[in-house]
Amino acid sequence: MQDQLEQFGEQMLNVVLIICFVTLTISVLLLLIRTFKGPSNADRAVAIDTIGVNMMAITGLVAIQLVTDKLNDVVLLIGILLFIGTIAIAKFIEKGVIIEQNNH
Amino acid sequence: MNNLAILPIILPLLASVIVAFIPSKLNIVRKLSQALMVIFLIIVGYIAWLVYHNGVIVTQGGGWDAPFGISIVADYLSILLVLTTYIIATAAVFYAPHSLSDQQEKFYFYTFYFLLISGVSGAFLTGDLFNLFVFFEVLLMASYGLIVLGNGKAQLRESLKYVLVNLFSSMLFVTTIAFIYSLVGTVNMAHIAERVEAIPAEQQGIITGIGVLLFFVFAVKAAIFPLYYWLPNSYVVPNPVISALFGALLTKIGIYSIFRVYTLIFVHDTAFTHQQLFIWLAIFTMLFGVIGALSTNNVKLIVTYNIIPAIGFILMGIGLYSEDGLAGSVYYLMHDMVVKAALFFLIGALVVAAGTKDLSKMSGVIQRFPLLGWLFFLGTIVLAGVPPFSGFIGKLLLLRGALSQEYFLLTIVALLSSLLILLSMIRIFIRGFWGEKMEGMTNDNRKVHALTIPAVFLLAISIFLGVGAEYVLPYVDTISTYLLDRTEYISAVLKG
Amino acid sequence: MKQSNDLILRTTTQIIAFMLLGFSVYLFFAGHNAPGGGFIGGLMTSAAIILMYMTYGFEKIEKIIPINFRTLTVTGLLIAVLAGMGSMLFGASFLSHADGYYHLPLIGEKHLATALIFDLGVYLVVVGITLTIILSIATDSEDESNQNVGV
Repeated sequence: MQDQLEQFGEQMLNVVLIICFVTLTISVLLLLIRTFKGPSNADRAVAIDTIGVNMMAITGLVAIQLVTDKLNDVVLLIGILLFIGTIAIAKFIEKGVIIEQNNH
Repeated sequence: MNNLAILPIILPLLASVIVAFIPSKLNIVRKLSQALMVIFLIIVGYIAWLVYHNGVIVTQGGGWDAPFGISIVADYLSILLVLTTYIIATAAVFYAPHSLSDQQEKFYFYTFYFLLISGVSGAFLTGDLFNLFVFFEVLLMASYGLIVLGNGKAQLRESLKYVLVNLFSSMLFVTTIAFIYSLVGTVNMAHIAERVEAIPAEQQGIITGIGVLLFFVFAVKAAIFPLYYWLPNSYVVPNPVISALFGALLTKIGIYSIFRVYTLIFVHDTAFTHQQLFIWLAIFTMLFGVIGALSTNNVKLIVTYNIIPAIGFILMGIGLYSEDGLAGSVYYLMHDMVVKAALFFLIGALVVAAGTKDLSKMSGVIQRFPLLGWLFFLGTIVLAGVPPFSGFIGKLLLLRGALSQEYFLLTIVALLSSLLILLSMIRIFIRGFWGEKMEGMTNDNRKVHALTIPAVFLLAISIFLGVGAEYVLPYVDTISTYLLDRTEYISAVLKG
Repeated sequence: MKQSNDLILRTTTQIIAFMLLGFSVYLFFAGHNAPGGGFIGGLMTSAAIILMYMTYGFEKIEKIIPINFRTLTVTGLLIAVLAGMGSMLFGASFLSHADGYYHLPLIGEKHLATALIFDLGVYLVVVGITLTIILSIATDSEDESNQNVGV
């Protein structure tokens, strides 16, 4: 009984993982379309940001699939780089310059 | 553990770091670089002497033994070329202060210069295919820095092409290494050679395929026939001292890699790779390179185009894959490195003296600068291979090899192209140095003389290679027998 | 340029920059036998510094961090090369490293390796190079001294 339950759990996890991967992939593709088409630069910025969020999700799923905790740092890392990238794009759209000479 | 083999790589690396601390104190940096370079030259000479007397020196990086760690192998061929590199580099460091402007020198010239030497020595010495790629990258990084030094418009345009071509070939290089690794499970060259032998005969087609792919990568770097289009323009734009370093060292790394790989690893199908592919490409390389040299009036471009037929000659020796052929190739490689550097130095001096690069506007330079004129004439006949100079000995060995294997077309093309090399170079001498004394020559006699002296040093070595062939040839013969019998290299690396 | 209100950015930067610096130190020390190391640690540090540059502007940060990043790069290179050469003093081959377990006060038993010194060099090189590249792209004003290097 115990064995069967574990087996069932593993199979279900696999199915769920595959579904998640496929969904995220489709989502990234749609976001890519938005990135290329995006009527305004703000749309593009949001789309790129969301692609990053999806990447974090995919990394997490890979960590689950490989049964490892080594990828946790990677998720954090992507998040940080994404944050800085988004701020840079936002500043560029808002002010036209990313690092100012003097910001009072 | 013997660390000697790695010294030619890390000493310039350390020097490049030291001079990077004080880029703007030019007086100190110049003197320091010159002193360091002379000391390094002596050290490398000592290592070469040791290798010739005690055999191959192998350093296993990090203390990991051969197939797992990175081997640095100072064998007869590689240490000879490293020594030649250091000789040229020493001449270049004395030439540089007079040729470059202060601004250019301050912009980390000496750092890039030492990095280039480090990368070149590393590429010569490494016994590991992936490590070879790494050292290619090191020297390419340094060369990217050097080629844009001066920030001219033409330089930026040509450097973009140069970077793109090299990025593409580097990418292909890594891919090829991945193929090799997936096939034989190792990247150590001696180990690959051992494993390739064990592959059954009917599967060796894939090895040949990978070999040709690797040859393509090296052919881009070495500027062999269909792939030399990027070379002339990108080598012409930088300062003469940088052109000299590039022309004498960078393409030779490519041809050395072909040498190493095709005498050590891919020797199972010489009938196809060596005797057909290499011989035909050598024929075309010799012909087209020299045609390029005849087609232009820019003196610097003429010398740059002359790099290409020299590569053809060396490739021809590898293609022959006989004792004479390989000995001729090694000899010619050494000779060409030295004499090309000397000619680039002299051309730099000529351009300063005449104030123009255009041959049709130049005349009578010899009346003001007789030393420069006669040195250039000497360089020309050394390059073209007039006996008893060094070009002649190399070509003699190569042609003897070609004739004994009955490659008549190859022989004819080789002779024809040496004649055309002579024509292209003597054209500079006749039209630039002879004739009416031209207007607009420089008054800065001291600068021209300062630019001539390093070339005298190199030409003296070149003449020693030719006149003293009696002393040089036994070493070259040792190298060629050593290359044909791979067991010494393999056993030195794997069991050392 | 018009005065703009970036209160949110400033407030978050105050917290996040220190989190980033802490994370970079963690990554740097984790590099021994887990993902991390000098390279990624250096990238994180430069990310934190660039975040501060974006928030507070060029002049202020230059006053706060008065480091010439080119010199930092060179120092890192020197440390890395010397760390490799150090083993040659003990007769071992180039780049050999030693390690061992030591009992340190306050933090207990730790695994120490000389590879850390090499990693420190890498860390400094990465910080120096990244910031040099990004700052020279971001601040291309006309009066730059390297602009007119004669041909």
